[in-house]
Amino acid sequence: MDRKLEKGRSSGRGDYRTLLIVAAFIFLVPAWSRMIPGEVLHMDIVNVMVFAGIYACVVIGLNLLVGYGGQISLGHAAFFGIGAYTTAILCTRFAWFPTWLGALSGVLLAGLIGWLVGVPVLRLKGNYLAMATLGLGEIAFILFTQLKGLTGGTIGIPQGLNVSVSEIPPLSVFGFKFDSDIKFFFLAWAIVMLLMLLNINIIRSRVGRGLRALHSSEIAADAMGVNTSRYKTQVFVLSAMFAALGGALFAHFQRYINPESFVFSVSILFITMVVVGGMGNLWGGIVGVIVLTFLPSVIQAMPQWIPGIPASLTNFSNYSLVLYGLLLIVFMMFMPQGIAAGLSRASAFTGRRAKRLRDRIQARKYEGH
Amino acid sequence: MEINKSTTKVLVLATCLMVAVSLSAIGCGQQKVDTSKEVFKIGAVLSLSGPAAPLGQPEQRALMLLQDNLNSGAGVNGHKVEFIFEDDESQPEKAKAAITRLINQEKVAAVIGSSTTGATLAMAPVAQSSKVALVCCAAGTKITQPVVSYVFRTPPTDSMAITKVLDYLKGTLKVKKIAILHDSNAFGTGGADELSQKAPGSGIEVVSRESYGSTDTDMTAQLTKIKGTPAQAIVVWGTNPGPASIAKNMQQLGITIPFIGSHGIANKKFIELAGPAANGVVFPAGKLLIPSSITEGSDWRKAVDEFAKEYKAKYNMETDTFAAHGYDAGLLITTAMKTAGNDRVKLRDQIEQTEGVVGIDGVFTYSPTNHDGLKTSDLIMIEINNGAWAEIKSS
Amino acid sequence: MGRTDRKQKMLLLGSAVFFCVVVVATLIFKGSTGFQWIMSGLTVGSIYALIAMGFSVIYSSTHVINFAQGEFSMLGGMLMYTLSTRGGVPPLLGFLLAVLMVTALGAGLERATIHPLRDQSVITVIIVTIGISIFLRALAKWIWGTDPVKIASFSGDSPVRFLGAAVVPQSFWVFGFAILAVILVFLFFNRTLMGKGMRAAANNADAASLVGISTSTSSLVAWTIASGLGAAAGIVIAPISFASYSVGTMLGLKGFSSAILGGLGSAPGAVVGGLVLGVLETITAGVFPSGYKDAVAFLILILVLLVRPQGLLGKPEDVKV
Repeated sequence: MDRKLEKGRSSGRGDYRTLLIVAAFIFLVPAWSRMIPGEVLHMDIVNVMVFAGIYACVVIGLNLLVGYGGQISLGHAAFFGIGAYTTAILCTRFAWFPTWLGALSGVLLAGLIGWLVGVPVLRLKGNYLAMATLGLGEIAFILFTQLKGLTGGTIGIPQGLNVSVSEIPPLSVFGFKFDSDIKFFFLAWAIVMLLMLLNINIIRSRVGRGLRALHSSEIAADAMGVNTSRYKTQVFVLSAMFAALGGALFAHFQRYINPESFVFSVSILFITMVVVGGMGNLWGGIVGVIVLTFLPSVIQAMPQWIPGIPASLTNFSNYSLVLYGLLLIVFMMFMPQGIAAGLSRASAFTGRRAKRLRDRIQARKYEGH
Repeated sequence: MEINKSTTKVLVLATCLMVAVSLSAIGCGQQKVDTSKEVFKIGAVLSLSGPAAPLGQPEQRALMLLQDNLNSGAGVNGHKVEFIFEDDESQPEKAKAAITRLINQEKVAAVIGSSTTGATLAMAPVAQSSKVALVCCAAGTKITQPVVSYVFRTPPTDSMAITKVLDYLKGTLKVKKIAILHDSNAFGTGGADELSQKAPGSGIEVVSRESYGSTDTDMTAQLTKIKGTPAQAIVVWGTNPGPASIAKNMQQLGITIPFIGSHGIANKKFIELAGPAANGVVFPAGKLLIPSSITEGSDWRKAVDEFAKEYKAKYNMETDTFAAHGYDAGLLITTAMKTAGNDRVKLRDQIEQTEGVVGIDGVFTYSPTNHDGLKTSDLIMIEINNGAWAEIKSS
Repeated sequence: MGRTDRKQKMLLLGSAVFFCVVVVATLIFKGSTGFQWIMSGLTVGSIYALIAMGFSVIYSSTHVINFAQGEFSMLGGMLMYTLSTRGGVPPLLGFLLAVLMVTALGAGLERATIHPLRDQSVITVIIVTIGISIFLRALAKWIWGTDPVKIASFSGDSPVRFLGAAVVPQSFWVFGFAILAVILVFLFFNRTLMGKGMRAAANNADAASLVGISTSTSSLVAWTIASGLGAAAGIVIAPISFASYSVGTMLGLKGFSSAILGGLGSAPGAVVGGLVLGVLETITAGVFPSGYKDAVAFLILILVLLVRPQGLLGKPEDVKV
């Protein structure tokens, strides 16, 4: 784990350059995806990318906590839900309530709850911390379901289809409404890029150094005067706020929420995204989110791409989860450090080869002289 | 003369036309899909995996049966019919993404689904704003009350089942005090809320309300609490396997007051799971469970018998109510397509004018103020006797 | 060191006293109803305990949390249904065959997926076990469909009554099996050379190799035992909980919680954790509005962990410098 961390810690300027490249690639998605007719792909790339952007907010924060802070959480769906419910409740109860303020309230509330919970719970370590966070996630889910007066119980928000009553409004900033997939796509990914920028700066700051010390050895860090519990709490609160931001975006994009979107398996999905992408790798979060958000759609669409697959296989969608589980296993077996690390190793490998080739050509030139 | 000539011409022409029309009608009678005609696409977003998979899977099976039946005949006016399935994994966000894709990319004429109330509520605004009819297989009352123009449903609603149960408690059992024990999921909670709300109207007091988790295996704690109240009957609102555990726990604890279930246990599975403890359990259900409760020789009876036979032949499985909901949703849309074609708005208008279409769940009639299709009287109360269903004739 | 040791013992004692007070108070205030709750809680608790033991076995030899543990029990129950309830194989033979099949599967999965990752971080392996659980669950849904199935009780359904509580006979089977399993697992890890070596292998691979146990063998044996144990547990509890493709999730969650509560890696801890969790759940369901019962149970679990961060009977996790 530590070995990989050393590798994942890359120099500053390179990170900014990579961020630009990644941003350019992602913001061009709508342009090139439009060129492929939907009937061919059997998926709506922009729509899937919106979800990826929303989940990326959560996963970037979780990667800070897990990959850099070395602390685990199996309950981040709770903070995701707190962000979603806070803004949904505020904006449906009070029609005048600005949506961006609703989202901000959700983020702050999640930060506060994260702090209240984090201070005692982060004293636990490893699997015991995993259990405690799992328990918190379950408690939050039960509260979402049971506090009917506030959350609308199992039916959720809004309580029905009578549109005039209390639909969750689309997110709007200074009168500009993010009310379509494509608008929301740009909003969500712009936020993701900002979070990444923040992430890079955090890692390079004092806090980041403290976190790294914490990750490699908590005792040593303690001995060297690093205030470990403060750093742990800080990064936990930060990851809770990132998750809540994702939740708020989710609520305003979905415009209907119920507790089903904040169950235990969603927490597990988040942590899986972190590990599949690459724990402690700066780009791991984004890679993991994109791969695992697209995977189900790709698996479902696959039979239509490949002719001759028997109907009995594709019916009743039984095969899709079998394949999903298998692919998850295969990913981890072949890229145990995560896909991002695998990619960077592959690019480093080709980079070295290219360099060697260049050197050889250069050498030949000299020989020629 | 001139006039006569032209009259003859017209007559000849008319005769030719009539012959042509009747010939083409015979052509139709041969029942062939015309491959040169546009394929009519209908989307179906169902819960094929996740907790609601036991609902979505039979719904999909029934729709595939309907698709085969239509296309081996004349399709819809010669147009081939294609159902395009999407799995919402029992999650609202997946359902919303799926319906968006079906409408924008697949250009479906109408959408069926979803299996659960939550997923349907997530999908409905998309259907409404895109002006595409949505026919759902979920029973939550809030979906169609108040009516929104593009959303319809085929199953009997939870409130019909609740009305039926309250009538039974008041009219047949003549009890004044009941306890409610419900699943903490959307189905159970929604049913319990509505039951508590409507009970006083029937002069019935809810003296205890308890819940259990969908995966719980032991409900003795809740039952002992209920045992300590003056409840004269227990209404259990949930789907398998919870109510079966409750029936067994009641037998274990020696609780003998009547057990009234929901339409969620209207399947043979409940009898299998609860074993002898199932005897005496009463629940509301569609008449299709007991075909003999439907008038012999009626179109509905024929449809139910035929459906059960074909389903058995194709899948080697018994039909259930969910299969019926799915089949009827498909039937409703394809029937309307015969007049309206695949124009989305015309199709919606046609579905709303549906009158007397014979399905499996019942005979469907819709109107601008009623998007439910069925009536409370399409349900019956069933009692389990020696592991078999028997209709309770209302007194 | 001595002082922290004493503090820990006091806290353990405190937890025990608190639990006893809760149980006694329930008995005093609720009489036979309270006794019924405790008996039901013990039944549910021994189900949790059986699953928790599987977690413990794999954890104590590899430090991996196996998220697929619940699926082994699911498969055990479903295979028993196919073999005996549907296939007409005599119950005892069906039991043995089902356990054998799942054991072979567990060992095979270890060799195919876990063994190649032996040098990787624990969290990587944990994600692989999540993948295995998704895979097995989906496969089971494919094979058996979505409906729950029933397996007949081993010795009838007529409840046994004593002291005002009614208990179904199958509860005694589950309880007895849990006790048998904990004794066997405890003896294996504490009395046999292999078991001791496996525990050593988890902490110090070199030391273990001196007694001839490699981490590789250790992991294989642990997975074999855990899958067999899980399958057997799944069959014994199926008459109470029913079997279906989806039961593994709930069993895994509750089993993991019990294992943590009792202290990871300790077989007696798994049993204590399971029983305490089961009893707490039924008592809270009885006393509080039942919708909140799981929330209360988890809250108590977290509070216990805050007081005793290594679980009830666990040893403090090794701190690596």
